[in-house]
Parts: sequence; C-alpha cells; structure tokens
Amino acid sequence: MTIFEGRGLSVRYGAVKALTNVDIALEPGLVHGVIGPNGAGKSTFIDGLSGRARVSSGVVTFNGEDITARSPRWRRRHGIARSFQRTSVFNSMTVRHQLEMVAERNGESDLASLVDTLGLAPVMDRVCSEIAYGTQRSVDLALALIGDPKVVLLDEPCAGLVQDESVRMLQHVRDICREREVAALLVEHDVEGVFRTCDRITVLNLGEVLASGEPAEVRSNPAVVQAYLGSAA
Amino acid sequence: MDLTQLLNGIALGSLLMILSSGLAMIYGLRGVTNFAHGALYMAGAYIAYSVAQQVSFWAALIAAPLVLAALGAVLELVFFRRLQHRNHIEVGLVTFGLAMIIERVIVIIWGERTLSVDAPPGLTGTTSVLGSDYPSYRLLVIGIALALAVGLVYWLRKSRVGLHIRAASHDVETSAILGINVDRVSLLVVCIGAALAGLAGTLAAPYVSVHPAMGVAILIQVLIVVVIGGAGSIGGAMLAGMALGILQTVGAIWAPSLSVLIPYAALVVVLLWRPQGLAGKRA
Amino acid sequence: MTDNLTGAPELTITPGGSDSQTRLGTIARHRHWLVGGGIIAVITLLGLAVPYLVSSKFNMGLVLDGVILAFLALSIGFLARHLGLISLGHTAFFGGAAYTVGIGIGRWSMTPTVAFVVAVVVGTLLALIMGVLVVRSTGMTFLMLTLALGQALYQFSTQRIAIPWTGAHDGLQIDLSGGTFLGLTQKSMMNAALFWPVAWVLLMVCALWLWITGRSRFGTVLEGIRENEERMRFSGFNTDLPRLIAFVVSGCVASIGGALFALNAAYVSPELLSFTKAGDALTAAIVGGLGVLAGPIFGAIVYVLAQSRFNTSGNLHLYTGIALVLVLMFLPGGILGSLEKWVRGRLSRRRQATPPSTSEPSSPEDQS
Repeated sequence: MTIFEGRGLSVRYGAVKALTNVDIALEPGLVHGVIGPNGAGKSTFIDGLSGRARVSSGVVTFNGEDITARSPRWRRRHGIARSFQRTSVFNSMTVRHQLEMVAERNGESDLASLVDTLGLAPVMDRVCSEIAYGTQRSVDLALALIGDPKVVLLDEPCAGLVQDESVRMLQHVRDICREREVAALLVEHDVEGVFRTCDRITVLNLGEVLASGEPAEVRSNPAVVQAYLGSAA
Repeated sequence: MDLTQLLNGIALGSLLMILSSGLAMIYGLRGVTNFAHGALYMAGAYIAYSVAQQVSFWAALIAAPLVLAALGAVLELVFFRRLQHRNHIEVGLVTFGLAMIIERVIVIIWGERTLSVDAPPGLTGTTSVLGSDYPSYRLLVIGIALALAVGLVYWLRKSRVGLHIRAASHDVETSAILGINVDRVSLLVVCIGAALAGLAGTLAAPYVSVHPAMGVAILIQVLIVVVIGGAGSIGGAMLAGMALGILQTVGAIWAPSLSVLIPYAALVVVLLWRPQGLAGKRA
Repeated sequence: MTDNLTGAPELTITPGGSDSQTRLGTIARHRHWLVGGGIIAVITLLGLAVPYLVSSKFNMGLVLDGVILAFLALSIGFLARHLGLISLGHTAFFGGAAYTVGIGIGRWSMTPTVAFVVAVVVGTLLALIMGVLVVRSTGMTFLMLTLALGQALYQFSTQRIAIPWTGAHDGLQIDLSGGTFLGLTQKSMMNAALFWPVAWVLLMVCALWLWITGRSRFGTVLEGIRENEERMRFSGFNTDLPRLIAFVVSGCVASIGGALFALNAAYVSPELLSFTKAGDALTAAIVGGLGVLAGPIFGAIVYVLAQSRFNTSGNLHLYTGIALVLVLMFLPGGILGSLEKWVRGRLSRRRQATPPSTSEPSSPEDQS
C-alpha cells in the first residue's frame, strides 16, 4: 500500500539536469534506501520530494493527492517530515526547548519515549551547540520524527558519524519506522548500512535511476555491480 | 527634456558610478557593507579643497586618492582583517561608527562652513555640446568617470591581479586553497575602493559644494545603488549608479518632490523582485 | 552563525537533569515569571523617585530625553535580540507618530490624549506596511530595506508638497493649550519632572510587554526562526507571520516613544525621521547591549547624558563613533551584556566548584 509517491520527478538548476525522471513509492513501516555516488542527485531528490527544490516535471502524491506544489510547512503539518544532511538544529536553544517547541506544534503524543529511544535524555537541558556532534545528529532526527509523521525523508542521517554511531543511528531509524508505522526514505552514503537497514533500495547515478527493488535484487543487478558497487558488493 | 539636464544626470551618475564600484569591490571581497564610504568621499573633497588652494586642482586629483588609499590601508589592516571572522553586520556597524568619527574629525580640521573649490583654469567656462552650452568642468567629470569605468573593468578582466580579485570575490576559501593571498588582494581592493572614493570627492568638490553633510547624503544613495546593482557586482553597481543619476536628475524636472523618492522606490521594487539585486549572485 | 551582537545563547534557569525533573523545571519557569515581573515592578517604583533625586531642571530634561530615546532603542533592540534583525527604519514609526500628534492637534483639533492614541495607531500601521515589505528579508538586505523606507519618509517630509502637513525643514509647533493628556495640562506636559511618571511607567509597561513576548511560546518561535528559519518551516511553522507580528509590536513601542516626544517637546521636525536619529538609537542600543532587555534602555540614557557632557563642542558623534567601534570590537554584547556574562560566569564557576554536575556520556567525535 503506497502512501507517498514520486512519479517522473525531474529537477533542474538552470541548465543543469540534477534529476531526471525518477520514480519512487514509499509504504508505511518500510525503509526505502537511496544510494549513489556523489553528485548522483540524492539530496536533490529529497529536496524535490520535500518541497525544498522546485520540481520541473513530475508529480509528488500523498495518499493519492497531488502535493507537488505544497509548501514545506503544509507537508510537515500533514505528516511529511524531513531531516538535513548538514545538521540543522537550533543551536542556541536547549535540546528540551526545541523538541518541546516542535512537539507542541505537531502534536507529539509521547516525546519521552522518542527521547529515550534516541538516547537524548542526559542532554535535554544542554544548549544544542554545546553537545557532541553525534548527539546533534540525533536531535536532528528527533526533530523530524516528532508528531508522528506518516512519511520521513532522511538526508544522510549518518553523515560525519563514526562507524558504531552510524550503526546505532540506522538501527534507530529502522526500529522507529517499524514501531510507528512510518514510511521512510533514507538517503545514505554508507552503502553497507543501507543494505543492512532497508527493505527497498533505489540506486541513482547521474540523476537517473540505475536500479530499484529488494536489496538482494539490487545487489545482484549487473549494472549496479559494474557502475557503482564494484568490489564493495 | 533638454540635453543639459541629461548631461547633468550623467555627471551625477558618473560620481555615483565611481563611488559605488569601490563599495561593491569591498563588499565582494570582505562581505562588508562599508558605511564609511560616504565619509571617505567627504574626506576626498576636503583634502582636494586644501591641496587645490595650496597647489592646484590637478595636484589634488592625484593627492586626494593617494591619501585616501592610505586611509583604506588602515581600514583594512586595523578593522576588516582583524574582524573578518565576525558577523558581517557587526563589521558594517563598526564602519558606521568609523563614519561618525571621520566626519567629525573633518569638521574639527576644516570647520563647519561650506567651502567651495574652483574648477581648474581653462575649464571654468562652457563648451558647446550638440548646440547647447554646457559647463566644461562637468564634461571632464564625465570623461574621467567613463575612462575610469572602462579601465577598471578592463583591468579586472584582463590582468592577473584582476583575476585574483574576481576569484576571491567569488569564493574566498577556494581561492585561498588555489594559492591566492586573500589578505593581500583584500588590502589592494580596499585601498583602491577608498582611493576611488577620494577621487569622486575631488571631482565633486568644484561641482557640488563641500560641506559636513555631504558624506551622509551621498552614502545612502551609493548604498542603494550597490544593493540595486547586485551586492558585489562591480558592473551592476556602475550601471545602476549611472541609471539612478540620470533618472533622478531628469525626474526632478517632471516632479521635483517625488523624484527624491526614486532611489528608495527603485530599491524596494528591485529587492522585492530580485532579492539578490539585478546582477548579484548571492543574497 | 554565532551572533556576538545579540550576546551569548540564553541559559535557562532550569537545572540539568532527567525526565523526572520536568515538573521541577516547570515550577522554576513559573518562578521566573514572578521574579522577572517583580524586578520590573520594583524598578518602575524606584524610577518614580527620579524627579525627587534629580535637582536641576536641565538634568531632569536630559533624563527624560533619555527615556524617550529608550523607546526607540528598546524597539530596535527587541528585533535584534529575538530575530537577529537590525533595523534602521524605526525612525519612521517614532517620527511618524510624533508628526501625527502634531498634525492631529494642529489640523484636526484633537485633544492631546486622542492625538496620542491616534499617533500610536498610525505609527503601528506604518510598521505593518513596512513590515509586509521587509519581513521576508534578513541580514544586510533587511537593514538596507528598512533604511531606504525610513529615509523615503524623511525625504518626503521635507519636500515642498508636504509643507502644509509637515512644515518641511521648519517642522511643526504644536499648540497643546487646547486640552490635557492624562490630566496633564500643556505646562505640565512640557515640565520634565511632571511628565516623567507618564513616560517612565509607559516605558516600563513596554519593557514588560516585550519581555513577556520574548519569554512566551511566541518568543520561542521567534528564537527558532532567528536560529534556523528553514528548519522552522520544515518543522511546520509559519515563519513570516511571527516575524511580521514582532516587527509590528516593536514598531508600536517606537510609536509610543515618538508620540510622547511630541507631547513633551510640543515641536516636531524632520530630524526625528533622519538617518542620524536612526543611527543614534541603534548606537545607544548596541552600546547598552542588544542581548539584554535593559541594555537599550541603559544605553539610551547613557547616550543622552553623554550628549549633554560632550556635545558642548559639537563633538558628540566623534565620541559616540568611538564608543560604538570600541564596544563592537572589544565588548561584543554591549555594556550590560558583558556585565551579565561576567556575573553568570562567576555564578556558574561557583556552582561548579561545589557539587559535581551531571555530564553527558562522552562521544569520540566533537563538533565538526
């Protein structure tokens, strides 16, 4: 059952085609990974789906409704949240302050359990700029997960994390999505992490879909092996 | 509209063009809006007054820009360089304070009263331009400004230093990696920008009167020109300066009370339509 | 972006700890309201004694001028503190309200009280109009737009077609003999000692209003917008409307100051709308400290006192320029801001010295 869908999405920056004719369909409780080398259009893809970048052609639908032209704010209010590759938190505020602010706005039922799951309890009253980078990434993720969104679009949540932090982060993403029945899109640099975590995978290259499907399928896809995974697979 | 009015517009536009290109260069490189630019222009005019009295106007045309270049070096070494990692608005406000200081120091030295500078001998009369008589000195202002504009653009485009300036304006970090000495480029740019302000002040001295409020009056116009032209874009600033000079002078004939509002209206319209300015790349 | 201008990130009173302390935190927060309100009430009462302490008429007039400038500085400081926006256009509301008093009384024969109310409404409407135009911009663009719009009003007020309304460069004399303002007759309004309680209490009401606004949920939203506007939009917040509201509130405070000025001085001139006035108020706010509520008020009063001391030779702007440069370079946060930081630093050092505080599990990587 598809809840969130992008069909034939293209994004252009001036004359540069950053994304060409990409399709995606997200289902509740499943994590859909997007991988690809640098410049493959992964971030642009999330920007297009979340309303940050203007889509030059194609449609984005949510519960069957065309939301391509909706604002980021509208999307968030209707259950489509996103995180950012470059940590995007509120630096001068305490963790508690900012989580409560966003929770109040988006009607979070159980902030405490989210805080517990992400291990943020010990830093709740610290100012965000003063906590460790890895913890800031968790705050960024929490900001996206607050208010029971139906869809979360995560842009490299593990960027800049060390290996075991990265593993823990992906574990959280997977658990929370299962538990809360969230449809997740996970753009990630860490290929192995994505194969471990995701239920579906799309491989982008030069702004186009190279392959898409179940992890095993994608892993054995000759085009992917040749063009991207190489010896890593 | 007669030719004289158009030429007056071009003459005002010429001054705005020289001033705004300096301001735009400094902005492009240091990201700082130099609120002291009006004060530098004013300093140029007063220095020109003294030099013209003691020696000659032509000497002033050389001396004032040189003194201002030295002042520019102080500005760069003492303030911009030390504050380069601070918020740009804070540095802008520092120049705001510097403007107050410079303007007052000028009044302490030269006094409150309005001074006048004579046009150099030989240029006090009029010249016939397409049938109408026009003050020769103003033609000189226009001539120098246009020559300077062409020269500056050519220099920025063709010379090695110009290339470095453009690279550093575009992206300070990358150009530092490429081995461009940003501090040195910046020193050069701020000196040139201040010298241009001094030159504009010198050229303005025989044309408008030299008085303590001249800095603030022109500063606002120049700021508007630079923002309209696209912050950091020298060509954009030059075009906008000329356009505004002509528009304002010519507009003054049609609706004197409303024409003073033209720069403000233009700024608001442009910023609402294109927040990055007409030729600007960054916000 | 670290913002030295508005001071260090706010520290909360709430003690660090886990979930069980949430309720404790709430109590602490409520106590904060009481403490803050109490402090403002006490300062208000103490301030009422000023006319009895200041002996000379001249000095009393100066202190009153300082308080009236404080409205303008306070309103500019509010925007800087909560939204990180520097406005050079608030003279439009200050001066606009002052002119409305002049025009309302002179042309439409309003009583001073009515003229005051109308002036504040007009000033606030000007803020709404300007706000709609500028509120989407930030940083230098915002500063330039507010400067340009404020200057447009200044230029307009001095033009020939505006003479019947504004008297252009001559300004307007206001004849206050036709009525009273809050029971004050013309003579009392122009007497600094008698006008003082009105101006002082209104200033404190405005300060309280802005303080509550900043501390409220709305204030938290403003802080979020200041820190990270994009994330706010992606967190489901409208970001333009809160900015507009903050701008209009701040414009309203500036208007109150302008209207009071006109009633006290019985004279308005284009100087009220000028770039210099905007610069004076901004300088006062910065020197006092933008990050602290009382900073701009303190700065404005110091500014006016300095004006009387140093302006004998006409060199006021030399000294204010030097003060502005020195404060920005060596005392970011202004006088009160730096003082607050120093006091807090001492307090937290003392607190750290006694009990070991809870620390966060260390992470191998720090901020990148």
